[in-house]
Amino acid sequence: MEGHRGALQVREDFRSLDDADEQAEFTTQANAEGVCESRLVVQGMHCAACADAVEAAIGKQPGVVGAQVNAATRRVTVTWNRSQTNASAWAQAAAHIGYRLLPAQAASRQDLVVGEQRMALWRLFVAGFCAMQVMMYSWPLYIADPGTISPDIERLLRWASWWLSLPVLLFASTPFFASAWRDLKQGRVGMDFPVSVGILVTFAVSTAATYDPTGPWGQDIWFDSLTMLVFFLLGGRYLEAKARVRTAGALDALLTRLPESCERQDADGHWARVSARRLQVGDVVRLQAGQSFPGDGVLLSDGATVDEALLTGEALPVEHVQGDTLIAGSRNLRGWVVLRITAMGQATRFAQIVALMERAMTEKPRLAVLADRVAGPFLLVVLVIAAMVAAYWWGEDPTRALSSAVAVLIVTCPCALSLATPAAMLSATGALARQGVLVQRVQALESLTRVDTVVFDKTGTLTSEQPQLIHVFTRTGVNAEQAMANAAQLAHGSAHPLSQALVSLSPTLQRLAWSTWTELPGRGVEASDADGSVWRLGALAWCGADIPEDYPQAVHVGLSDAGGWLATFVFDEALRQDAKETVQTLRSGGWDVRMLSGDHGGAVSKVAARLGIDSYDSAVTPEGKTQAIERWQAQGHRVLMVGDGLNDAPVLSQADVSVALGSGAALAQSQADVIIQSGRLTDLLVLRSAATRSASVVRQNLTWALSYNVVAVPLAATGWMPPWVAGLGMACSSLVVVLNALRLRQLR
Amino acid sequence: MDILFLLIPISVVFVLLIMVVFWWALNSGQFDHLDGEGERILKDDG
Repeated sequence: MEGHRGALQVREDFRSLDDADEQAEFTTQANAEGVCESRLVVQGMHCAACADAVEAAIGKQPGVVGAQVNAATRRVTVTWNRSQTNASAWAQAAAHIGYRLLPAQAASRQDLVVGEQRMALWRLFVAGFCAMQVMMYSWPLYIADPGTISPDIERLLRWASWWLSLPVLLFASTPFFASAWRDLKQGRVGMDFPVSVGILVTFAVSTAATYDPTGPWGQDIWFDSLTMLVFFLLGGRYLEAKARVRTAGALDALLTRLPESCERQDADGHWARVSARRLQVGDVVRLQAGQSFPGDGVLLSDGATVDEALLTGEALPVEHVQGDTLIAGSRNLRGWVVLRITAMGQATRFAQIVALMERAMTEKPRLAVLADRVAGPFLLVVLVIAAMVAAYWWGEDPTRALSSAVAVLIVTCPCALSLATPAAMLSATGALARQGVLVQRVQALESLTRVDTVVFDKTGTLTSEQPQLIHVFTRTGVNAEQAMANAAQLAHGSAHPLSQALVSLSPTLQRLAWSTWTELPGRGVEASDADGSVWRLGALAWCGADIPEDYPQAVHVGLSDAGGWLATFVFDEALRQDAKETVQTLRSGGWDVRMLSGDHGGAVSKVAARLGIDSYDSAVTPEGKTQAIERWQAQGHRVLMVGDGLNDAPVLSQADVSVALGSGAALAQSQADVIIQSGRLTDLLVLRSAATRSASVVRQNLTWALSYNVVAVPLAATGWMPPWVAGLGMACSSLVVVLNALRLRQLR
Repeated sequence: MDILFLLIPISVVFVLLIMVVFWWALNSGQFDHLDGEGERILKDDG
């Protein structure tokens, strides 16, 4: 297991997991020695061996008694000693090998799922075992020549069959009855109604035949049909539920997030990190760039640049001055911001986005909605046909009447039709989720098959997120490491990608306390140190330098101190490794590839040339991007937009399908249709092929479901189909649909 | 064939007993983690 890694690059420090209030949400009470149990969700698992890797990594940590991972639901239970270690310590151990641990919210919901699974398995077993035994009792009755079995023995066999059908009726069939009853109370006829009627009628008639063979109900028993029917139906539903639990586990693991935490000022002016949950109105809190405001508040700092796109749709950052109101959920873009909380509550972004995502996940694609709507009236027609069939045969041959009517009831159940689309979609989204591609809107899979144009954003999508430092020029007497260290200290607290690149090049630096520090848009960071000398990091001209002759086209950052220009850092954008291959394959699949970027012409045309993209545009504002997409859509194209999902919200919603690319917890804020967590562009190709294959599987399923009904109903109505064949046929048709959908689990 | 009058009721009782045993096995969590059990043999220290 050495070296087995997860799919993620995890940079968080997990300190928010140590907060006592937060921990109480996912941890049991410690016993006398301080040992407690924590339950968390694991992100980044992509194969069966991941469970072992996570268990080993966490289990090796000092203070951890043990760790157990459930591969299907992606949950880990860690038993650890509070007095010996912190939650953040073992969470970081998992982070080092590529897995992110998040508190399992609604841990009790997890227990419920286990309980439900057990009940489903129990019912299946009861139905199956009793069906086997009842068939054994029925076998002699089928094959014996008439008159060779003595009436006593025959009565005994029937009696035994009755006894073993009771558990099936009372235990195993209850889901059908309960659901049919629920639908009836709402005035609807659901799928389980004909099934319930069939089961009850069959049991009643067979009971009468067992205990009163000379009565009006005849003397034929149907216990074998009854039990096998229930077994096949439950079997189909059990497999479907298992597939659904697995997919839900994968999606769940991708949607949970770290609890928010920020620094709060206490009575004597010190800043302490607390969980956002503990904040109250009147608290003064401090947030750095990239964090979201945990509540509504009044700005206490001089100014703030805030991204309110998630709330107002306004893509451009908003400048606020001291005294302005800040909204919960918007993001701080620049430097440290101090604010006083004026309101906390359910209107937090997390609750909104979770609600959005939950709604999106339960949205059914159009075809499924259509199938559901057809099912209702179809069932009523079925009931009428069954009654007519019974009436017809009653005159001719009463026993055939019952069996034909029941067979019609059972065989025409449109469960295959209702399962056709969801089974395929669930299977495909589950397989994609395991690959790290989260499909938030299932409709997107359907829409993808009609897309003919793909538009890429440049920075962060086609290029890697971090610019590469390729050269450092320094003033005589200063070495490069010194300059980089100074630059990193200036850059700390700025959200600009170049600042973050500089900070990450000197990761072990202590934060220097600048007496003043400001970030000026368009120019850079200016700060003064304890002696009062002014440092600058940013635009070359502003720092007193010229563009170096050797690197005219690259991105430059200057550094200056009290004595003037100190250093120039030359950055180049690195293309993602798989960008070229992805563009070529997308194009060879018949798609138009285009690029829209807000960056200046030189950089954009360079990237376009390297990737072979002919249609591109530079210096485009977000509104310009939206308009461009509208134009292409008006020309009849269906557009897929690939961006970083954070600043392109309005653009992404304009496109027919939107994909957000990248890694990190911030992605969970994205409203894109599909999120590619791994940051691999080639996953776009996987997504495209999964969409095409699932569309063809859905078509196959629907065709099969319809043809099965068309063929089976006449057979049942004319009495050629005993009820057990009807049950077998119905379950088989559903199983065929589900098995066909399972082919999508393998992403080619 | 009179023995059937004993054997068949016994078989009914047996089936009920088996269901009780299965109920116990289910409730003690033996069927909870069916995924991944097959790969246990591949573990190095397993």
